[in-house]
Amino acid sequence: MADPAAITTGTTSPRSGDRRAVGGRPAVATRGKVQHQLLGIRSPLAGRWRLLLGVLGVGLVLVVWVVAASRGDSSSVLVPTPAATWRALADMWSEGTLWTDLWASFQRVLIGYGISVAIGIVIGILIGSFASAASLLEPPIAFLRYIPATALIPLFLLWLGLDESPKIWLIVVGTVFYNILMTADVARSVPRQMLQASYTLGAGRRTILRRVIFPHSLPGIIDVARINLAAGWLMLVVAELLAADKGIAYRINQAQRFRAVDEMFALLIVFGIIGLVSDLFLRWLRDRVSPWAKA
Amino acid sequence: MAKVTPTGELVDEKLVVSGVSKVFPHRKHPVEALDGVDMHVDAGELVCLLGASGCGKSTLLSIIGGLETATTGEVLVEDELVVGPGADRGMVFQAYSLFPWLNVARNIEFGLEVAKWPKARRKERVAELLGIMGLSEFAGTLPSALSGGMRQRVAIARALAPEPDMLLLDEPFGALDAETKRHMQDFLLTIWQRTRTTILMVTHDVEEAIYLSQRIYVMAARPGRMAAEILVPFGTSRGPTVKRDPRFLDLRDELGDLLAS
Repeated sequence: MADPAAITTGTTSPRSGDRRAVGGRPAVATRGKVQHQLLGIRSPLAGRWRLLLGVLGVGLVLVVWVVAASRGDSSSVLVPTPAATWRALADMWSEGTLWTDLWASFQRVLIGYGISVAIGIVIGILIGSFASAASLLEPPIAFLRYIPATALIPLFLLWLGLDESPKIWLIVVGTVFYNILMTADVARSVPRQMLQASYTLGAGRRTILRRVIFPHSLPGIIDVARINLAAGWLMLVVAELLAADKGIAYRINQAQRFRAVDEMFALLIVFGIIGLVSDLFLRWLRDRVSPWAKA
Repeated sequence: MAKVTPTGELVDEKLVVSGVSKVFPHRKHPVEALDGVDMHVDAGELVCLLGASGCGKSTLLSIIGGLETATTGEVLVEDELVVGPGADRGMVFQAYSLFPWLNVARNIEFGLEVAKWPKARRKERVAELLGIMGLSEFAGTLPSALSGGMRQRVAIARALAPEPDMLLLDEPFGALDAETKRHMQDFLLTIWQRTRTTILMVTHDVEEAIYLSQRIYVMAARPGRMAAEILVPFGTSRGPTVKRDPRFLDLRDELGDLLAS
């Protein structure tokens, strides 16, 4: 260590000499275990593997479908072929019933679920922000949400008749308690220090609710709406099966009377597509309005 | 309240804390977080509250900030009784207090908007602070894109913006790595020397307390109370060289012993 220059150049350093000797010797055994990317827990997957597995997953469903369709004899079809399903869809499209039904269902969900989300935001933020609101509202909501919404159908029919309003209120009641409680959790996740900093910047209650808690909760609220939307569609189906003269679930029910399984399959696929599209839309919306929260 | 110091100077007492106790109620084991704390900070002073974790120093700061209420005792700022939080006592926390959806300039502007400053004055003040803090080129950046040290600078700028009577800092550099922490300490000294804002800072770091403050209150735990008041013998303009001053090292050992006892 007397000559610092020797260490930096490494020519006479015993340390660098050692390293060379170790590097030159072949390993005599292995340590640890090599994990393949397909089987390692949380190990990242290469892009081509992801694509291949994605195609495989969809393909698998199609194969099961085709095999199932080819088993029954033609006189009593229980599972239509993909081709027959496609034809049924095209027919409904050209006849225009698909659009009438789609719009009728969509409208009910839009209004009913819209009301549910709006109530969820207001009450949820109140519960998440004020201990008094939480004490007042959480016990009754915890009770009410365990009453199956579908069990309220006879009452709704009695109160509201057979037209649109019982369908819409069924969607509201079937989803609003989840929207409230999950929004409350989102509002509760605003860091305490952020609220305290707001107070010490002179902000009052109203300002903090409007300019701190709401913007901080917005991406979470959109996620809550996205997750509970499936329950909204579930309530719609129940309502339409019961009493309706148009709508996708109503059409499925009609198709059953004529044993038109191809039509039923086509409409089920329509449900799947609606779900997928609305999910993607709400994800896009969240990233659009709250780019700061992007994962 | 004006008073005369031993050297004959006339100074204003910015903050007076008298007989403050805090008991956190609990059915079986009520926690006595603070027991009869007295302290004061003069106008333009930089004072540290030093103590190990659990000594109630952050609770005391919260009470001064008006975020918590004292069980007994009172806090006066410029002879006015503190009953709640306000922009006159700007606070900076260890982390998680910047608004992540607002860029740096808008974060700093927040308190000015709340106080309804006219737009032109707001822009002027924000630009001034961005300059002082060396943040001008990051005006449009979101907090998530900033380093920890930069975020704390923004938090300090935001608290300073509405021209508070005093600044309360709750371990503001506690989450930073050693190198960044040193930079931020020098930065805080510069800000203080330039603005002469009254600063009360909570820390558990002995060297930080000596390096920054003119006076140190050492706190002890269970129940939280004042154990000592130490005058730091270095002037208002000091640099990193004081860390090699023998008095600095003596003070460090003395305070270390106090905290360990």
